[in-house]
Amino acid sequence: MASLSLKKVSSAWIITILTLFICAIVFGILMRLNQGNDIKLSPNGFYTLMTTHGLTMIGIWTVAGMVGIQYLLSRYTTVSAKLNVFALVLTIIGVIMLWISTFVGNFHTGWTFLYPFPFYIAWAKWATPLFLWSLAVLGIGWFVWSVGILVEILKKYSLKQAFAWQHLSKKDPEVTTPPFILIATVSLVGIILCLITAVILLILFFAEYYSNGSFKNDPLLMKNLTYFFGHTLANEALYLGVALLYELLPEVSGRPKFKMTWYIALAWNFTMIFVLTAFFHHMYMDFVQPLGFQMVGQLASYFASIPAAAVSALSVIFLVYGNKIKWSLTNILFFIGVIGWMIGGIGAVIDATISNNIVLHNTLWVPAHFHTYNAMGNVLFCLAFFWWVANEFAGSQETTKSHKITIGLMLIGGFGFVLMFYIAGAASVPRRFAFYPNELQIGMTTATWAAFFATLYLIAMLAIIWEIVRKCIRVFYSS
Amino acid sequence: MYKGILFFLIACLGFTDAISDPGAGYNLSEEKGLYAKIADVPLNTGSGNIRLPELYQQTPVMLAFIFTRCTGICNPFLLHLKDNLESLGSKEKFKVLVVSFDPADSLSDLNKLAYRFGLQDNDQWIFATTPQISKLVNSAGFYPVWDSSRQQFDHDALLVGIDKEGLITKKLIGLRDVKSLNWMIRSIHDEFMLSYPLPRENMLFSCFSYDPVTGKKSPSFGLLFLVLPAILTIMLLVWFAYQSPKWRLKSAQEIPPAKN
Ligand code: HEM
Repeated sequence: MASLSLKKVSSAWIITILTLFICAIVFGILMRLNQGNDIKLSPNGFYTLMTTHGLTMIGIWTVAGMVGIQYLLSRYTTVSAKLNVFALVLTIIGVIMLWISTFVGNFHTGWTFLYPFPFYIAWAKWATPLFLWSLAVLGIGWFVWSVGILVEILKKYSLKQAFAWQHLSKKDPEVTTPPFILIATVSLVGIILCLITAVILLILFFAEYYSNGSFKNDPLLMKNLTYFFGHTLANEALYLGVALLYELLPEVSGRPKFKMTWYIALAWNFTMIFVLTAFFHHMYMDFVQPLGFQMVGQLASYFASIPAAAVSALSVIFLVYGNKIKWSLTNILFFIGVIGWMIGGIGAVIDATISNNIVLHNTLWVPAHFHTYNAMGNVLFCLAFFWWVANEFAGSQETTKSHKITIGLMLIGGFGFVLMFYIAGAASVPRRFAFYPNELQIGMTTATWAAFFATLYLIAMLAIIWEIVRKCIRVFYSS
Repeated sequence: MYKGILFFLIACLGFTDAISDPGAGYNLSEEKGLYAKIADVPLNTGSGNIRLPELYQQTPVMLAFIFTRCTGICNPFLLHLKDNLESLGSKEKFKVLVVSFDPADSLSDLNKLAYRFGLQDNDQWIFATTPQISKLVNSAGFYPVWDSSRQQFDHDALLVGIDKEGLITKKLIGLRDVKSLNWMIRSIHDEFMLSYPLPRENMLFSCFSYDPVTGKKSPSFGLLFLVLPAILTIMLLVWFAYQSPKWRLKSAQEIPPAKN
């Protein structure tokens, strides 16, 4: 059972995340309007928005999953609200530092801050160290937090049980591992690994920055580390959302809980391994990388997506198909999220295939696929949890009130928005262009339409978020 | 044996010192000034006067700087270039423009030079002078220095690749092999050229080390950083595996046992 303090801190997290989410969507719409030539931002202004948008979105939807995991973990083991507060405080400090470095200091390298961009000072000089330190603060906070959550899991399950290995050898093992625990463990291990990579990356950045040129980094090594961290984190964040789905979807649909089976155990253990090497697909253009690495990148991209996605999609289809389901906003969001995840995953596999990547590399196809599995995937998984938990906080039953308009706007807005990225990507419109030259008219047209669709998505989000926040605030008044 | 090692170390230190002192070296670089436009200068050639753009707009150009009284690298440079181009037998269309950077050279000096190399009737080769040589060499980033005591220019052998838009797509310094020439031919035809910076000075950790002589790559220390996160995470998990039974014992009273 969640303690009151855990409820309060989770509530504070949800309000913080959703506030930042709204701001970041507005930044996104402004970027699309600029690309559509509908408004005029300075190039620096565009890249400042892009950097802040990317980092904020990745950050908030990673921590959103962690908030959900820790909250639901209280059903199985004791969890520490203090740990949660610690992470929240460091996150707020980190985000403030980050936004000052971008909005005041004008730092604008893109969210991947790929070496050596941070050292090509095209902004206030202090913005580079402030930006790097902001990441250090966030990284430390999240590292301690994720290790802490893993420890909480291990208070109840042995390491073998947490990975559900007993299900691989026995049909009916003595202790069963809930799928939620397995997926949370796998994702947390991945996140810990990413954050260690981020620490190494930051140490190398700091070493060069503070050594005044007497130590230089290898761009290839830095790029490998950056994508090892960045690509993996983005994927693990999604898996945290999937863990929430495994725990809540059957429950809110009035169906029996998902049972651990040998194939779910196998799929997620494999996913843990493959997702760690899939980042090599970001290095296809780095021809000095040995061919073997490129092949690992392609194969791992296939293998990472197939087991987890296929097993989860099938589980959800079997849950829904032919059964009487109690539909509510929670399970509708989960359900649409699975569809978004699958579409985005297919987009990713297409791009990760080397022969296609030659054409699609660094085109808008890339933001197309990751926006699909984020904006229409992980965001919806986490929102489903937020909606469910807000009702729990408010002590209210899920209303049967129809959300048809909200869901309609979200579907048209969300899928319309990503479709514009796909169309432009397929037409070879490059990503990360503040504005497009006349030759890329299709880039401009799709950008304007995307801004329109994104506004519909924003309206739907505002409607959902308004209700969530109202209910979350109530927790602060309860004793 | 120790004397030998000591001598070797001192020699290495001296060598690295010499190559790493930026003042001691000389400023020509193959990476500098790429994709800059070559200057528009008039050329006096055996077949009349033309402007440089008229040449490169027809076919891409390889531009070689020499002077006819050179007692150093110019002759071996031209000979090497001629032999390599012959052995390469490239079917691509391009011109080789040989321009003297010595204002004392006349067109007849250059014609004689062409004759000496048996290139006087070769359409692919053009020998020329220009009244605006400093404009041309500056735009190519080539800075010969007159040494009055030797009555010679102090200079390197530079071959500049120019595409049909007049952009410098590649530079080759020194006597280069057929492979490098092939790269230049591809680059002046605007083919995508792969390039990656070699590990630089003060770069302690690189993923691969590359031997430019053999062209071989081998894994280097930097790669360890890619496996380090996995090693540290596994160590953390192994530590957890040993420690967690204690946590479970402690928390056994607080939380319900795992479901059977
Ligand atoms: C409707 C909501 C959203 C809008 C309008 C939006 C818009 C944009 C735009 C216009 C770009 C720049 C694309 C380019 O030209 O390369 C972008 C990049 C990005 N977006 Fe979004 N986005 C939205 C939601 C999200 C979500 C939910 C996430 C993640 C969870 C996300 C993560 C990112 C990232 C990581 C980048 C890359 C930034 C970079 O290249 O540095 N976005 N977004």
